[in-house]
Amino acid sequence: MTMLAPVLAFIWQVTEPAGSVTSAAGFLDLTPTTTKFLILSSLLFIIGVGGVLARRNIIVIFMSIELILNAVNLNFIAFTRHWQMVGRISEHTGEIFTIFVITVAAAEAAIGLGIVVALYRNRETVAVDEIDLLKW
Amino acid sequence: MILQGAEVWFFWVLALLALMSGLFTVLARSAVHSAMFLMLTLIAVAGLFLLMQAEFVMGVQILVYVGGVLVLFLFVIMLVNVREERLDVARLFSRQWIGAVVLAGMLALAFSYAIRLADPYQSIGPPVSARTGAPATGTVAKNPQGATPISQNTQEVGVDLYSKAALPFEIASVLLLVAIIGSVLLARTPRQERIYDQEQETR
Repeated sequence: MTMLAPVLAFIWQVTEPAGSVTSAAGFLDLTPTTTKFLILSSLLFIIGVGGVLARRNIIVIFMSIELILNAVNLNFIAFTRHWQMVGRISEHTGEIFTIFVITVAAAEAAIGLGIVVALYRNRETVAVDEIDLLKW
Repeated sequence: MILQGAEVWFFWVLALLALMSGLFTVLARSAVHSAMFLMLTLIAVAGLFLLMQAEFVMGVQILVYVGGVLVLFLFVIMLVNVREERLDVARLFSRQWIGAVVLAGMLALAFSYAIRLADPYQSIGPPVSARTGAPATGTVAKNPQGATPISQNTQEVGVDLYSKAALPFEIASVLLLVAIIGSVLLARTPRQERIYDQEQETR
């Protein structure tokens, strides 16, 4: 427990907003701001990265990649909305980027799942740590 | 402040739904369950898009992701299903899970630091349009009768897509063509290839 204390202090210092006056309201400030959208999308991103690195089933790894792409899309849309609220009314760049990300995600899923089917036909497995032919 | 009123509750419900089902996507033992939780996440994120008045992107998300990509996932799961992970015999995670947890924690620290740096963005004042008198959002317009506001988001995104982003749009269509041909080529069985070769010889 004593070993964890500096780590916890560091996390507290990092997550506490710098010199913000509203921090007296603390965690009970429930208003959704752009920052909260960023926090949500970074949490989704982290979950996706954890899934990509830790799972064995290659299909679940693909699903985690979709989670990561969705987190990025959420960021794009949140920033577009932010700029619209700030005053650039006809701002749609983020939405256009999101459409392209969805397009690339669809293409990636088609190709990747085609590779999975071909791989399963040859090797009879979908576990990534058994697919180590190219490993050094 | 992006949302007001009841939208706040929708934000929290959808955000928690997206986070929890995203977590269960990664943690579920059966791949089919993962796909179902991924569908919940995608729908919750689509709801968040709707809250941020990106109606067209929400429609695309539902149509392409839930209707297309996820069905593809389910088909491949059924083609490939090994039924091994249902039993407790098979390991659920690969051996690098410690590294994964450490890296995810470091990412969390880095993200929280970056968000803390970017925090001045949070304290934006009232919209500029409140001073100039223009409508605050620009995406909601009254129809001539003035009855229900109709979103012009799809129209605006379409105009931008074909004017500012015309070249990437065409490149994306070529990418989709390559993806179609590539997945057909990849998913062929040896037997189908043999039949095709025999047809070529007899011709």
